Amino acid sequence: MDEDFAYSLNNIAQLGGHEDRAWHVAWNPEKALLASCSADKSVRLFTYSHDGEGSLKFSLSTTIPTGHLKTVRSVAWSPSGKTLATASFDSNIGIWERETSEDGDGKPGEWECASLLEGHETECKSIAYSSTGTLLASCSRDKTVWVWEVQPDSDFECMGVLMEHTQDVKCVAWHPTEELLASGSYDDTIKLYIDDPQDDWFCCATLSGHESTVWSLSWSPNGKYLASASDDRTVRIWRRVGEYEFKCVLILDGHDRTVFSVSWGKGRAGKSDSEEDKESLGWIASAGGDGTIRIWEVSESPASEVPLAKMIVRLPEAHGVHDINSVVWCPRKGYEDLLATSGDDGLVTIWKIQN
Amino acid sequence: HLQAAKKSLWMNGPEPRSTSEDSETDDDDEEEAIDQEEIFDLIRKIYDPEHPNTLEELRVVSAPQISIEKNTVKVEFTPTVPHCGMSTLIGLSIRVRLIRSLPTRFKLDIVVKPGSHQSEHAVNKQLNDKERVAAALENPALVKTVEDCLSGRD
Repeated sequence: MDEDFAYSLNNIAQLGGHEDRAWHVAWNPEKALLASCSADKSVRLFTYSHDGEGSLKFSLSTTIPTGHLKTVRSVAWSPSGKTLATASFDSNIGIWERETSEDGDGKPGEWECASLLEGHETECKSIAYSSTGTLLASCSRDKTVWVWEVQPDSDFECMGVLMEHTQDVKCVAWHPTEELLASGSYDDTIKLYIDDPQDDWFCCATLSGHESTVWSLSWSPNGKYLASASDDRTVRIWRRVGEYEFKCVLILDGHDRTVFSVSWGKGRAGKSDSEEDKESLGWIASAGGDGTIRIWEVSESPASEVPLAKMIVRLPEAHGVHDINSVVWCPRKGYEDLLATSGDDGLVTIWKIQN
Repeated sequence: HLQAAKKSLWMNGPEPRSTSEDSETDDDDEEEAIDQEEIFDLIRKIYDPEHPNTLEELRVVSAPQISIEKNTVKVEFTPTVPHCGMSTLIGLSIRVRLIRSLPTRFKLDIVVKPGSHQSEHAVNKQLNDKERVAAALENPALVKTVEDCLSGRD
């Protein structure tokens, strides 16, 4: 059965070099830099720019060996784009900054480890900076979520250890504007946390509905929805119906195996292509063990609390026969049509969505 | 050495840019079908971690408990007792053997026989959680135990 999709996803770069499975990628929000991490314990940084003919060229900028003793599972940039955090199966979190060159020529030097955050007892699986960059969240197989305060001179103070999940915590994701944190777990639930100014961080909501492990979370750019990807082979869309109240309003199915990653990009702002009365919510991309990238265009109408999701891309075998471990939209203005994926083939692939 | 072992665990297939020569697979078998018996042959001689016997001898694995659909291989095994604490280790050994032996196009589902284990759901979930499997294989003590199961006794 051939489906006709309005858009196509074109492979514009294939970035090799990792010697083992590539777990995760993160686009720098400010600069033309992309970070990838791998079971080979390294982080690779790629730059990109337009060549003379107007197409984007990607090239390796540097490789950070990291010094982590085990897999680097995920990477996250601070909102300023100046700091990179790494989460490793060795249970530690690395904080990486570019030293200023000693030559005094003002050029940035090597990436160095500015801080190593210890605290988790077992594999650290995910990390995320809050929208202002003042907080860092991390999670681990030790079932905990930690909230760290980012202080001057690469100091970090633990503000709270949240022990709400009954199993591994797979992912953390901050709300795009508020200090509201979400975590997804092997216990099949999603939890949300806020700070009580008089007291500690606490869990303000639990979202149940997934029938297996929650692997990945992504907020809608407008902050009114949360998307979750699961081992139950679905992506769920949760609508914020109260201050800390969420309701599952849509289930996107079609994946044949575990969905490891979901990313909610801005897409094209404003009215959706198809219908004038609908407001675009952006594009949701998902991928996982079936090797297929799926992209939905999501929109909402004032009349309904259920958004409309229309599949606009379905690309099988995006990494050949291999699992796709992460899929991430570029957040930079003017580059919102770029998607990065990483796979068990050790490759990072850059895609451009076009119609 | 562990690094090399790990590399062959996850990157064992024919890689376009790889020069690996330790792979038991080659490009020619890309479209070759694989049947129950071949999979069974790969796992029958794995040793049980607690007994001086193979999984075949203990009837933990059998050919009819293997199913293949397109590129998905599902292996069901029967723990010797319903509270078998070694089930995840047995399942991990089966998975490692198959990862090393089969072309990378195959996806693996390893499960206990329905009703054969009191923590069936938990065991199945752990055995098929890719991240937990990856982390387990970075644990030298665990890898050593798996290797012992795969290579037999001295």
